Amino acid sequence: MGAGEAGGGKAGDGKAGGGEVGAGEAGDGNGTTDRSGMTDRNRDAKSGHIELASLTKRFGDVVAVAGISLEVAAGEFFSLLGPSGCGKTTTLRLVAGFERPDAGRILIDGRDVATLPPHKRDVNTVFQSYALFPFLNVAENVAFGLRYRSVSKADSARRVAEALELVQLAGYEKRRPGQLSGGQQQRVALARALVLRPSVLLLDEPLGALDAKLRRALQVELKTLQEHLGITFLYVTHDQEEALTMSDRLAVMSGGQIAQLGAPREVYEEPVDAYVAEFLGVSNLMDATATRPAGATEVCHVRLGEFDLEAGCGRIDSTGAVKLAIRPERVELGAYELTGGNRVPGMVERLVFLGSATQIFVHLAPGVTLQALVRNDGRALPWSQGSPVSVALPADALRVLATEVPAFEEALAPAVG
Amino acid sequence: MAVIAEKPRPAAPMHLPGAQRERAGWPKFLPRPNPWRRAWFLESFTWLYLIWSIVPVALAVLFSFNNGKSQSSWQGFSLQWYVGKGDTSVLHNPELHHAVIQTLVLAGLTTVITVPLGVAFAIGIDRWRSRTAAGLSFVMIFSFVVPELLLAVALFFVVTQLLRFIPLGTYAEVAGLVVWNLSWPAIVVRARLVTIGRVYEEAAADLGASRIRAMWRVLAPMLMPAIFASAVLVFAGVIDDFVIVEQLSSTANTQPMSVLIYSNVHSAGLPGPALNALATIMLGFSLIVAVLGLLVYRFMTRQERHGSTEALTSIAGM
Repeated sequence: MGAGEAGGGKAGDGKAGGGEVGAGEAGDGNGTTDRSGMTDRNRDAKSGHIELASLTKRFGDVVAVAGISLEVAAGEFFSLLGPSGCGKTTTLRLVAGFERPDAGRILIDGRDVATLPPHKRDVNTVFQSYALFPFLNVAENVAFGLRYRSVSKADSARRVAEALELVQLAGYEKRRPGQLSGGQQQRVALARALVLRPSVLLLDEPLGALDAKLRRALQVELKTLQEHLGITFLYVTHDQEEALTMSDRLAVMSGGQIAQLGAPREVYEEPVDAYVAEFLGVSNLMDATATRPAGATEVCHVRLGEFDLEAGCGRIDSTGAVKLAIRPERVELGAYELTGGNRVPGMVERLVFLGSATQIFVHLAPGVTLQALVRNDGRALPWSQGSPVSVALPADALRVLATEVPAFEEALAPAVG
Repeated sequence: MAVIAEKPRPAAPMHLPGAQRERAGWPKFLPRPNPWRRAWFLESFTWLYLIWSIVPVALAVLFSFNNGKSQSSWQGFSLQWYVGKGDTSVLHNPELHHAVIQTLVLAGLTTVITVPLGVAFAIGIDRWRSRTAAGLSFVMIFSFVVPELLLAVALFFVVTQLLRFIPLGTYAEVAGLVVWNLSWPAIVVRARLVTIGRVYEEAAADLGASRIRAMWRVLAPMLMPAIFASAVLVFAGVIDDFVIVEQLSSTANTQPMSVLIYSNVHSAGLPGPALNALATIMLGFSLIVAVLGLLVYRFMTRQERHGSTEALTSIAGM
């Protein structure tokens, strides 16, 4: 846990500047950790620092990674989040060494590895398809990489047993990958990488092929494991829930660039634009006009249809056309008769019972449909399809976003060095 | 559970409203066709085809055991054409048993040379991405496109006019057969390479294996079934081959079974049933190789949870 806290602490320092990463202090001094840490479990907790500097990769005319710069602190759980084709997997493959960057640097513990072949890098990968060798049994699969380290036979056997213990697969040594379930194969893949005690573990959608329930269980397990081992995890996923649950920090990617970088809470609560807001879970987006930007007051006056609202967060100094965003869980429904500030009348369009909550689609008078999430407290809801309701959009939850996607300004990309 | 499993197949045509509407133009006096009926026509056609192709072969095999010189009237069972005394049996006639040995020598040599070349060819085409590689991958199917006779005649000229240091006979035959059969390993191994993808090699590299080591420790075992399957295909193909070896053989000493049968079947050389016996041995070799190949292939790919269909198609070279 100690290393995990250390990493988290760094992340905390980093996000202080509102999306900017103060990674400078994480980088120097401890960046040149002794390489012998590779074979030592009680390695310096500070090894495993990654720095990408204007990393670029093109495939023909397609720019897969367009000058990414970011820093991952040692022992941090860092996620690259984005839809398919956003460049997250290519970024991971560049760090692993399967692709050669067209420009930029990849520093691991201060050493540029961009030109090293994959087998000379102190990083290991857990593949989306697991890539377990089908002709080897579980123990042989896990021991595969140990052959290329100077590890004695007895030592190797002990480490394989340890690694399998770690992923709770002791007793499965003689099985073939084909005889294991998807979740078990995933654990073998993890053990095969961890047995080499890399300073950085790269995970390419490792839970992508599993069913939802198993995925959730393994999320918790992976996070616990990462905190326990103190290894840097660079995790690629398109699943926002996964990224939010596990990461110390995450980067939302779009078109080969970083759209926003920060702690999960920060990215979720304070998305910089409509893209990030939309990608991180359902976000109710509305077109509105900012009539009076925040000056002396802390709120921005916006006009949604014929209703005047106050929005308290986001780019409250905007004027003109803006987008308003509010998370479904912050939308409050009340009796139609209720009036007051930031209330808009609407009509219930549809109710979807989800178990722990009910999802309610409300058609607002200005002509937009919002989703509201009402927690299930055991009582039946007083509304049904067609019920008129009063919808409260609290000012502190109503976020003003710029309409145009910001052109990936300096502020969003972390300062390097 | 059993109740669900034994759900009966509807025996009588079901008069679904939808089906009726679809068949609005169907004449009233004709019985409505039952879509679940047995496919009588296809079934009988299949049987007919099987009979048509198997019966002549079976008859040829049968008359190799004839106790007499006739190839058409049965005179009792005997092994005289296989192991009989005198010089008319395969065992004792030098020409006949030399043909058997020559066939096996050609098949063995060709397989040993063709398969490694074909594997290298397949890996090369798979890894080398360029226009040239695309062109070369067309060359892979060369032997499926070029008529065998054309290649055989061309090779004959090459050997007799250009590369005169290759004498007609076993050397020329093997050279020709390698050219003709190279497509098999190339295509089968290439298909397997495409199925495997790069991820296993990447995983090996990620775990610390250099490129060469990854190839040996990961790619080679994974290619083994395909390599083996293509070896079977080449071996069986050489046993059957006639056109190329006929062109490139020199003396009777370098005639394999197929050529010997051909040159004797219309002339009054060797007695008929002896040739039948030779043909039966040829067939036996092919069958043994195919069955052995199928079994070993299934054993090799047992971890991959594919049905035997893939094994069959790989043996068949598809």
